[in-house]
Amino acid sequence: MAEYTVKDKLSFLKAAAGSGRRLLAPSSKDGRVRLAEVTPDRVAFDYLNTHLSPKDAFFPQTEKMLAFHKDAAKPGAFVYQPLGLDKIQPTVVFGLRPCDARGLAVCDRVFQNDRFTDPYWKTKYEGAVKIGLACQAPGPNCFCTAVGGSPFGEDGLDVLAFTKGEGLGLKTLTPAGDEFLKGLSGLESGGAAGEMDGLKKAAESRLPGPLDLAKAQAAPVMEIYNQPHWKETADRCLNCGTCTFFCPTCHCFDIQDEENERGGVRMRNWDTCMSWLYTIHGSGHNPRPTKTERVRQRFMHKLKYIPLKQGGACGCVGCGRCVQHCPVNIDIRAVAVDMSK
Amino acid sequence: MHNPYLPYPVRIAMIRVETEDKNLRTFKFEFLNPGDEEKFAYLPGQFAELSVPGQGEIPIGIASSPTEKGSVLFTVNRVGQVSTFMHCMKEGDIMGLRGPLGHPYPLDTLKGKDILIIAGGFAVTTLRSTIVWMLQPENRPKYGKITFVYGARTPGLLLYKEEWSDWQKRDDIDVHVTVDREAPGWTGRVGFVPAITKEVCPPPKNTAAIICGPPVMIKFTQPVLEEAGYSTDDIIMSLENRMKCGLGICGRCNVGPEYVCKDGPVFTLTQLNQLPKEY
Ligand SMILES: Cc1cc2nc3c(=O)[nH]c(=O)nc-3n(C[C@H](O)[C@H](O)[C@H](O)COP(=O)(O)OP(=O)(O)OC[C@H]3O[C@@H](n4cnc5c(N)ncnc54)[C@H](O)[C@@H]3O)c2cc1C
Ligand code: SF4
Ligand code: SF4
Ligand code: FES
Repeated sequence: MAEYTVKDKLSFLKAAAGSGRRLLAPSSKDGRVRLAEVTPDRVAFDYLNTHLSPKDAFFPQTEKMLAFHKDAAKPGAFVYQPLGLDKIQPTVVFGLRPCDARGLAVCDRVFQNDRFTDPYWKTKYEGAVKIGLACQAPGPNCFCTAVGGSPFGEDGLDVLAFTKGEGLGLKTLTPAGDEFLKGLSGLESGGAAGEMDGLKKAAESRLPGPLDLAKAQAAPVMEIYNQPHWKETADRCLNCGTCTFFCPTCHCFDIQDEENERGGVRMRNWDTCMSWLYTIHGSGHNPRPTKTERVRQRFMHKLKYIPLKQGGACGCVGCGRCVQHCPVNIDIRAVAVDMSK
Repeated sequence: MHNPYLPYPVRIAMIRVETEDKNLRTFKFEFLNPGDEEKFAYLPGQFAELSVPGQGEIPIGIASSPTEKGSVLFTVNRVGQVSTFMHCMKEGDIMGLRGPLGHPYPLDTLKGKDILIIAGGFAVTTLRSTIVWMLQPENRPKYGKITFVYGARTPGLLLYKEEWSDWQKRDDIDVHVTVDREAPGWTGRVGFVPAITKEVCPPPKNTAAIICGPPVMIKFTQPVLEEAGYSTDDIIMSLENRMKCGLGICGRCNVGPEYVCKDGPVFTLTQLNQLPKEY
């Protein structure tokens, strides 16, 4: 794979925006940085991370999937047809943080699992060139290194960039990344990888050391499931769902139909396993009847079930969002310690 | 790219009220587009999402056998939004069918064994499929003795009377249909499923049991089989959980690390003993 430098960030972003792909990048709006379609001059660089995780770019909070009409005079009445799949624009995403890119890779293994492929995810996710921006100054809530990641991590990225004075250093990680940078003007070959190693070590030294997840991951599911600490965490939890909303690896959704006299749509919306409605059967029976089961589900999913199903990959990528936003200060790191006792 | 969310359009070819309380109706669907029936290739034990435009989708076990060509059967209990709407639909109406989903019963690993099939209430659906399939001349020699125990609260709540009456006349399947208590006009067995199972279950050596029924029936039948010496590997069950995608993606239906939709709904008791009882 190749390495490049550019002297000026803005001219790089202009070249990227002129590549024929739509540019999605962090920018500030109402005091918050979010991933959005922006002009190159509006791209933010002085952010720890985007307020919301970037999952919305590939898995919108609400997404119409199918539509039908009721006009018996026309063919296909009451027959659902796919929506949106033919309108996916080729995109370049700039400024993904390495934790989030790794989180999207966790989602990718769900949306493209051993049996089924989700075309709404795949067309957007694989249709995007993903350029990460390394964290040279990690924030106070960051703990990627505690869960196997790095501020210069490469998982789920096509290119990793870092700031180099007024410019950027760039390293390509996949054929798609290679292809994309080759087509841009104003790039100089070389001059990135050596510097990157030093910066990586410096940034990692400012972050916490690894959590000891070995015991929790080696023990049988039921041993961790039956530990006594779940109720204590659940006693504090409000089941508000803030954590699942912010999390880059929370991928659950609901499917709902809406209709009027002419036709209707089927759409999906983000959902949360913290809600009691999530699992309740039509009969009224609820397999996760209390907060304890629901809180346990979220943490077991991140730290036990995902690693079991994804060859050891942790379901928490250490972005710190749930820790920062939980109204009652529930900290997944503390839960991980309890699980490993 | 195949879109697993897109239902095949189907026409309701037949609706039959199954039970005296009218809460169960069997729907027979025919595919609108030629070729879709081949794409919907299924085996007994799998389920599908019945997709009602504008209303939503419900996961329902496939009650027909793939050997019954030309249509697919489902029996739907009236519960909430979608199932109630379906109970008001008419023959000829257009809706959708998405699947097949989940894994079938392990028909291959069951080869050469005696089979005990235990059903309670309307959970008999995918077992109807299994029996019809096993009784086909090309499949019947693959299995040993087949014993079928089926119970409901009253005679009027038993599904598929025509089918099991026919099976009762055959000599290659033992059929024991029972109701909870005496009822006018009922000349068959009386008693709960666990008690009948205890009486008729074949010796555990080389027998596998498939059980589907309400939680209380399972709770009392499981110990009967374990006492009779059945190994937990030979006790096969099918789970139900609330579902949306049916594809192992939306996250809704997990039991521990397994998604009931994608990794199940069929599990052995050995597998279930290692999982949380979140179903
Ligand atoms: C693998 C499998 C096989 C099944 N086979 C049959 C069958 O053969 N016959 C039958 O009558 N019923 C069967 N069920 C149960 C059936 O799916 C529910 O009764 C049905 O979804 C209720 O939907 P509703 O819209 O009428 O009820 P509502 O309570 O209004 O439900 C709204 C939505 O919740 C979900 N939901 C609610 N309860 C359940 C449930 N128990 N299981 C799954 N999803 C649920 C559905 O997505 C539904 O659209 C099966 C369930 C599963 C998982
Ligand atoms: S944000 Fe905190 S209080 Fe809210 S559901 Fe998550 S853990 Fe519970
Ligand atoms: S669990 Fe919390 S810290 Fe971990 S990835 Fe999700 S939001 Fe980030
Ligand atoms: S129903 Fe979506 S994961 Fe099982």
